[in-house]
Amino acid sequence: MPDEAVTVTAAPSVDGAVNPLREGLASQGVANPCTAVFFGASGDLFKRMLLPAVYSMKLRGTLPTDFALVGFARSKYTDDTFRDYCKEQLDQFMPDGKKPQGALWDDFSKRISYMSADFSDKRHFVALKDRLAQNDEQFGTAGNHLFYLATPPPVFPEIIKHLKEAGLDKNDKGWTRIVVEKPFGTDLQSARALQQSIEAVFPESEIYRIDHYLGKEPVQDIIALRFANTIFEPIWNRNYVQNVQITSAESLGVEERGGYYESAGALRDMIQNHVINLLALVAMEPPISAHADDIRNEKYKVLSAIAPPAYADVWSVSARGQYGPGTIDSKPVIGYRQEQDVSPSSNTDTFAAVKLYVENWRWAGVPFYLRSGKRLPRKVAEIAVTFRPIPHRFYGESTDKIEPNVLVIKIEPDEGISLRFEAKVPGPKEHIRSVFMDFSYGTGFGVVSPPAYERLIGDAIAGDQTLFTRWDAVERAWEIVTPVLDVWHNTKDFSFPNYAAGSQGPQSANDLFGEWRRI
Amino acid sequence: MATDLTPTANVATMTIVVYFEDAAIGELARDRIRTLASKHPSRVILFDATADSERREEGPDWIEIGVKSAQPVALSSALAELRVREVPVVLLWIAPGIGDDERFCALAPDAQTIVYNSSLVHEGDEALRELVDYVARHPELALADIAYLRLAPWQESVAILFDGSDVAELSRLQRVEVTCGSEPEAFYLLGWLASRLNWSPGDPNTVRDRSGNPVEYAITREGEPRRIRRVALRSSNATFVAEVDRNGETIALRVENGGSHPQRNRAIEDPGIAALVERAILAGHHDRIFAESLAAAGGILSRRKEQP
Repeated sequence: MPDEAVTVTAAPSVDGAVNPLREGLASQGVANPCTAVFFGASGDLFKRMLLPAVYSMKLRGTLPTDFALVGFARSKYTDDTFRDYCKEQLDQFMPDGKKPQGALWDDFSKRISYMSADFSDKRHFVALKDRLAQNDEQFGTAGNHLFYLATPPPVFPEIIKHLKEAGLDKNDKGWTRIVVEKPFGTDLQSARALQQSIEAVFPESEIYRIDHYLGKEPVQDIIALRFANTIFEPIWNRNYVQNVQITSAESLGVEERGGYYESAGALRDMIQNHVINLLALVAMEPPISAHADDIRNEKYKVLSAIAPPAYADVWSVSARGQYGPGTIDSKPVIGYRQEQDVSPSSNTDTFAAVKLYVENWRWAGVPFYLRSGKRLPRKVAEIAVTFRPIPHRFYGESTDKIEPNVLVIKIEPDEGISLRFEAKVPGPKEHIRSVFMDFSYGTGFGVVSPPAYERLIGDAIAGDQTLFTRWDAVERAWEIVTPVLDVWHNTKDFSFPNYAAGSQGPQSANDLFGEWRRI
Repeated sequence: MATDLTPTANVATMTIVVYFEDAAIGELARDRIRTLASKHPSRVILFDATADSERREEGPDWIEIGVKSAQPVALSSALAELRVREVPVVLLWIAPGIGDDERFCALAPDAQTIVYNSSLVHEGDEALRELVDYVARHPELALADIAYLRLAPWQESVAILFDGSDVAELSRLQRVEVTCGSEPEAFYLLGWLASRLNWSPGDPNTVRDRSGNPVEYAITREGEPRRIRRVALRSSNATFVAEVDRNGETIALRVENGGSHPQRNRAIEDPGIAALVERAILAGHHDRIFAESLAAAGGILSRRKEQP
């Protein structure tokens, strides 16, 4: 697909003059020269996701022409050896196998530098300030600085503190923005503490809390489906909707992330952020505009309408599981407790399900079922809106079951929409059967969307916060799941594992709701 | 023949009507439209003016008709019969002459978007002049020109040259040079600059800036048709150059004799005809900048006509 026709505001010069040639150009983010500093640049996230996303932007022409990248991490590299490292990683991780080469790579690589640094040493941040000033001079990056925290979360506060102490929290020449990777805290208390450390240095308008899930095209399509069509809105409420099921399932286990996952679990890792964000998009009222805060205001209103479960009710509205050995794709796989860096007696949840209610005029009484798990039969992310049964059945003699209509918004792996409705089977008898009408974005538009990180980094450079989570929403999401986390934490005996890898999840989830769509 | 009872769900986003009068261009068009239709499921109707033939169908959504001797009304009638009613009609007109062409006039009223290519058939400025006249007479038409859409990376590149403090140089420009394999792209680029910077037509090979000062322009025909190779804008202080690099991989941006930026390289981004048609369909006809650039190019061309 060609570049989206996104009109960017004309780029003001240093003295505020506007470049009239910018008007109407179909470019996204190109108008913002900047230096991006990646803290944790020798880590996994940088090499697998962030660096390929930035270089893909270079190939597409969506990266600012006046751009520089600074890697800042503990590992020992020089500028030259870090460039070699970047090239090696791009060789391995660029989507579609695009190799870094030729004039574009030469132009990109000369803008890469590296600082071997200790996050706890203020002097290294003072040196960073000098490096940024040097980049502004050498590469025309106009004093615009993007700080990307791609380190383990415990280091965030230290980095932020030193940015402030080194005077990097703002500058007179251009903008300063900070991108904070998820997870944003490990519970409500730690999230608030992290927020305090960030907001003491950066205003909310400069904080970009990244949840790469929100950068996925199908997630953005939810808004288009709801608000670019008239047919759904009249029935998108408690009068017609029986329940909403949001599923994010994976067939993979924890892979090499056992150490992280032990302290996280499915509820923290997926439900508190990705899945609750999907709920907000599905349930929110129409925003008055596509402006970031108009959309984020509506999302927050939905979350504030969700009452956190009462502590006494947690077991009646949640289910928890951990996979044991089983079979995926006809191959035997080990259980969670046998995974690398996982305790043999671990009580971490690899499956979590909760039932929530959005207590407002539109949704009162409609259950929203959220579930996420690892080692389920296949990778599926979807939102299924099940409509109420027909009010009167006049096929008196037929014994056919008449199923309710279901609208499924498919996010992964086959992005699209399907609608289940009932149809008469051809013939003299009045037989009714469910049929599916399927729309796939892949065949509908034949478009491969840019990876989520590419979109989100571009948005951060362009200053568009729409797809980033605002603090009030993060805090509210933690408040919603806190009673569940607390009760689960205080329950010691779960008889884990309680579902076999490759199964539909723990029986307790099925007993609890009974209406799950099969994965 | 047995009826196929396999349940299917068709998706159609538009009806694409292609008209061509040259067999080689027709082959190219078929190939590109198949690419486009694979991305945007569409019913495709090809009017092949190189032959007379019965309707030939490849499935329900690919229909070819030889219309060499057909009356214009036969074309509009076929379109009315074959189009998908609920989705827009896009007319891709790949033939010389639109203003007085009866067939074009028969098909255009049914099209929500018309896609033209002023540099496909002629490498000179004839087709662009004709388009300027036609659009002036039919401002209501939703029309996009591939030759203009092809400029996008060059517009971006030229704009980037004047970001930041160099923006002041735009009011000091004295000369613009465009090296290009065909003229429509060059005149579109001049028209775009003129429309953005409030230039007005001047003497032949000259425009006037907003203060009335002359800005010379020179177009050099060199290289492949439909490809720009170099744009240079000289101000009183420096020369701003966007040029395809030696390997033809990138557009190199540099400022000679001044300026505040080092040389930079951007992807050339040559998206191909299918993607340009797609751009035309998705955004082209909403493009106010295009309309203003076309009008400005028309003004410059009108003075050029007065050359001896």
